[in-house]
Amino acid sequence: MAQYKRLGGIMAITLAATTGLTACGFGGSSGEATGDGTTLDLLVPSYSDATQGLWNDVIAGFEEANPDIDVNLQVESWDNLESVIATRIQGSDAPDIYNGGPFAGFADDELLYPVEDVTSDETFADFQPTFLENAEVGGTTYGLPWIASARALFVNDALLEEAGAEVPTTWDELLASAKQVSELGGGVAGYGMPLGSEEAQAEAAVWLWGGGGSFGDAESITVDTPENLEGAEFIKKMIDDGATQADAGATDRSPLFDIFVQGKLGMQVGLPPSVGQIESDNPDLEYSIHPIPTQDGEPFTLGVADHLMAFQNDGDKQEAITAFFDYLYTADVYVPWVQAEGFLPTTVSGSEALADEEALAPFLEVLPGAQFYPSTNPDWSAADSAFKALFGQLDSKKSAKDVLAEVQAQVDAG
Amino acid sequence: MKDLLKALPWIGPAVALIAAVVLFPVGLMFWNSTRDISQSGVDDGGVGLANFATVVGFQYFWPILGRTVIWVVVVVACTLLGSLALAALLNKAFPGRRLVRMAVIVPWAASVVMTTLVVHYGLEPYFGIINSFLVDIGLIDTPEGYGWTRHAGTAFAWAMAVAVFVSLPFTTYTILAGLQTVPGETVEAARIDGANGVRTYFSVVLPQLRGAISVAVLINIINVFNSLPILRVMTGSIPGYDADTVMTMIFKYMQNQRQIDLASALSVIAFLVVIGIVAIYVRAVRPLEEV
Repeated sequence: MAQYKRLGGIMAITLAATTGLTACGFGGSSGEATGDGTTLDLLVPSYSDATQGLWNDVIAGFEEANPDIDVNLQVESWDNLESVIATRIQGSDAPDIYNGGPFAGFADDELLYPVEDVTSDETFADFQPTFLENAEVGGTTYGLPWIASARALFVNDALLEEAGAEVPTTWDELLASAKQVSELGGGVAGYGMPLGSEEAQAEAAVWLWGGGGSFGDAESITVDTPENLEGAEFIKKMIDDGATQADAGATDRSPLFDIFVQGKLGMQVGLPPSVGQIESDNPDLEYSIHPIPTQDGEPFTLGVADHLMAFQNDGDKQEAITAFFDYLYTADVYVPWVQAEGFLPTTVSGSEALADEEALAPFLEVLPGAQFYPSTNPDWSAADSAFKALFGQLDSKKSAKDVLAEVQAQVDAG
Repeated sequence: MKDLLKALPWIGPAVALIAAVVLFPVGLMFWNSTRDISQSGVDDGGVGLANFATVVGFQYFWPILGRTVIWVVVVVACTLLGSLALAALLNKAFPGRRLVRMAVIVPWAASVVMTTLVVHYGLEPYFGIINSFLVDIGLIDTPEGYGWTRHAGTAFAWAMAVAVFVSLPFTTYTILAGLQTVPGETVEAARIDGANGVRTYFSVVLPQLRGAISVAVLINIINVFNSLPILRVMTGSIPGYDADTVMTMIFKYMQNQRQIDLASALSVIAFLVVIGIVAIYVRAVRPLEEV
């Protein structure tokens, strides 16, 4: 009899353990309130090694000011972020606050609070108007612009001087200068062209938009157009003429920028944090920052804003979320965060606070005229991944026309 | 039936565990493959077999399936040949054998992702040591090296090499265990009858290894077919679908395109393919029966 008892115990434990396992994957409720307070779940990507610490500081300050609200932090790499959020939504376990890229799909599925419902009037009015417009889905703002970045051309002055090349403002000048630098030999390449899966959509935008094209708007994604074809053809020309590093189609941006920092690339398009990277890894590099060359020489930049968004879940945490956002966007909290990560602020008060920051000047200058991805189009995610997966094929026997058509086809299949 | 009821307290926990961690996820996978799931993960209702039609209708589906077959056959075959040689060596007594036996386990003990990353970085142009070495001895004439992992063919070949490397330890040890069950008398008898070493190995030893080899091959087929990390690291930055197997394609559906429904459908296909292969193999070779 005693034996049976023990068996029963083992069975009970095993069963409990296994149901526990399933609960992990499909748990409906996420760490509910401890005692009488509210718990906010925060899911954010890692921008750098410092990200987690920066958020911890923000959360510590916020919890001190609001003792009845607890904040749970989950930091994921960009690679995993989107599958984590999809899995959590599917398991009815969406975070309350999420920091990510495209959000139109969430808005379409009616999962998000409109921004005005979770911010005070002062906080809402402080955002730069262009950024708010960029975060609208069907006339309602669903994403809180969090950090912004712009692109500019980083030029290795020493290499260009050695090759006797000029800093380019048009495509033809770029091709000529890059070829001159490439001819220096010794593993040096003129222009760093990252069409690998990491961020192919950004290099695509730099070229296709620089030739007068676009990716479409909030209603439709248009990739396969005559305007875009010009940029794509010129990318092929750059590659075929030997103006770029080898294997442009499968080179990712970050490792390639390391090569620029090592002084082996004449030019590459970079971001505000690139300044800090050069500062820490190779401060002796002689470089300068210039507007991105375009077909006709008219300066332009690709602006990217990442957004915060608030998920409705059970709809009972609106006040806590509002308190968190209002705290987060005060200049004293927000500006140090943005500055530490090396990005640009999206609020008026933030820009004013950073106005005399020298390293960011070339970027802040071009930011007002920035063009954005059509990220409020629900199909943008599909377009984004189609570019990542397929655009690098420009570096192959496939024609530019075929590559654009293939990207468009994958977007349309969505 | 009564026996079954009597046995229930003993097998119950195991059955419950299998149900929870094997049958339930498999069921969910089948269920998801017939649903229309939005990019953010919301279930928009059933669509029957439409997901399967989309997956099979994809223009690169058949090349990907073909590449998967090549991947499995080449990796398992090379692994088996290498392991047979290694196991024969390790079965001989020589000074330091214990150390060599330990060394063979290393690729097994190391994380697959780590091993692959080491090779991947070695193959990077500009700073990878494999590239630097090849440049230094004059096999490559571009000073920054060759983009091994940037071309579908070479990246896939290197991935195969890594896959063989990490599959060797398990297979070697399985065969080594088999070798040690071969009775010394049979080998001795063959020698007395005048058979040379090669003849003895192929006619006497190898047939007695049938059990060990067939189990090793079966497990390797399943493992290699389902292997994601090596290909994911080695071929991850290549645009298009010219270096994908079924597993990396499932991953691309899920991670890049966030189409959980299509990923599930392809997973179901992969699942059925593996079951099919295993069924055929078990019927033909009967690895679980005594010689």
